[in-house]
Amino acid sequence: MELTTFVQTMANSVVSGSIYATVSVGLALAFGVMKMANHAHGEFFMLGAYVVYVFYALAGMPFFLAVLAAIPTIAALGLLTERLIFRPTRGNVLAGFMATAGLTWILQVLAGRIWGLGFMKMIPTPYMGAANIAGAQIGLQRVLIVPAAVILLGFLWFFLHRVRLGKGLRACAQDPDAAALQGISINKMTSLAMGIAGAYAGVAGALMAPIHAVTPYMGRDLLITAFIVVIVGGMASIEGAVLAAFILGFIHTFVTTIFDATSAIMVGVAFMAFILIVKPTGLMGRAKA
Amino acid sequence: MLLNVKDITVHYNKVDAIRNISIEVEEGEIVTLIGSNGAGKTTTLRTISGLNHPTTGEIWFEDQRIDQLPPEKINKAGIAQVPENRRVFPYMTVAENLEMGAFLRKDEEKMNRDLEGVFKHFPILKSRQKQMAGTMSGGEQQMLAMGRALMSNPKLLLLDEPSLGLSPIMCLEIAKIIRDIHSEGRTIVLVEQNARLALALAQKGYVLETGNIVLKGEAKELRDNEEVKKAYLGG
Repeated sequence: MELTTFVQTMANSVVSGSIYATVSVGLALAFGVMKMANHAHGEFFMLGAYVVYVFYALAGMPFFLAVLAAIPTIAALGLLTERLIFRPTRGNVLAGFMATAGLTWILQVLAGRIWGLGFMKMIPTPYMGAANIAGAQIGLQRVLIVPAAVILLGFLWFFLHRVRLGKGLRACAQDPDAAALQGISINKMTSLAMGIAGAYAGVAGALMAPIHAVTPYMGRDLLITAFIVVIVGGMASIEGAVLAAFILGFIHTFVTTIFDATSAIMVGVAFMAFILIVKPTGLMGRAKA
Repeated sequence: MLLNVKDITVHYNKVDAIRNISIEVEEGEIVTLIGSNGAGKTTTLRTISGLNHPTTGEIWFEDQRIDQLPPEKINKAGIAQVPENRRVFPYMTVAENLEMGAFLRKDEEKMNRDLEGVFKHFPILKSRQKQMAGTMSGGEQQMLAMGRALMSNPKLLLLDEPSLGLSPIMCLEIAKIIRDIHSEGRTIVLVEQNARLALALAQKGYVLETGNIVLKGEAKELRDNEEVKKAYLGG
């Protein structure tokens, strides 16, 4: 591999890792607090991209504001999903998973009905230009994703470790009964976790909108990646999910560059299988979450 | 009366775990529930705390009926429980565990005073504030769980098997601390398999067997009762 290609691939890996991390932390957090897996998480990402399509490409709002708008919009969708699906099925992992699988199809069909199928949406690139690193051209729109992810992940870390409400989420993930005895409302914590999960998936989709094919099905592959990331990271571990996201980012990008995208997914899954064999709890998983 | 449990029955998946249990707790008392494993002691405490709800009967705390309230409302009303097996948050520090005990509080100043109070009872917690709770010994975790419960400044403290799995010396240490906490005017309901310890601390006791109360009375009467001696005090 030539140096230029290598640098380019490295940069793309970091960008992919940033997106995987931003999407996966929400899935891991929600799983940790609820012990339920959200199949519609990829559609939260997809709808985040459509928020940018509507507000930025159609309505002409500044890109930055359109990305911000995705946060409350998809957070609200996360809250609704918690209230209407996860709360009634609490404790029944399969019911929650299947019901959100249903939600996946509903959201995909709705997006197709409203905005059309087939063609991807044209979203003009708000930040033109490219950074030149060792001869490799890296588009600013891509570069932008990295600091955005760092800020978002840093904010989540601060919230979970320095704010009492966020610590309540961790307490709830570690022992819901003991948390309830401290006056921590399980319902409030599951709502909060799903709100954050929605916000993070939504903002990731929004950031990706100008450099990704925006279609109703764009969340599908990412959901599989996010599940692999969360499993490799150790199910409920946020830190593990971030670490695994960047590892997967490198694996996918390098294998795609050298071979092709299908091989990349195969290698990613093989990597997951390998981790599960050598460390069944995942990279940073705990024996009993 | 501070706590009045009136004739409650609790079902787990249609099987009744406790039947027609009534318990009265006056302010300032230590009341103990003794009985063997599976007698329904833990279920009774979990029901008072709101983790379970009775199918029949009522629970009154001060002037409020609490048997259908969620646990966070019951905590807010002034009841804190130290659960069986301590149940500290293993991947949080000692300081964070204590903070969780005060989750609903907004009176920071009074909270800091209560924190000092907790450190007075459990000096070891003060020196271990940054340690992960899961890496502490059983006795230390018991102290942390009790400190955590005290951080909500509860009117009523429910202790579920505080001596479980502890060395005899640590048991005595915990017993002394329970006495200290009580002498500050805190009302305590103590669930114990170690009936000798429990009846030494309490003023009043209830004996549970397979989900029923089979005996109740003053602690000293129970200590002298032939049945209790034979079944729970080792002759």
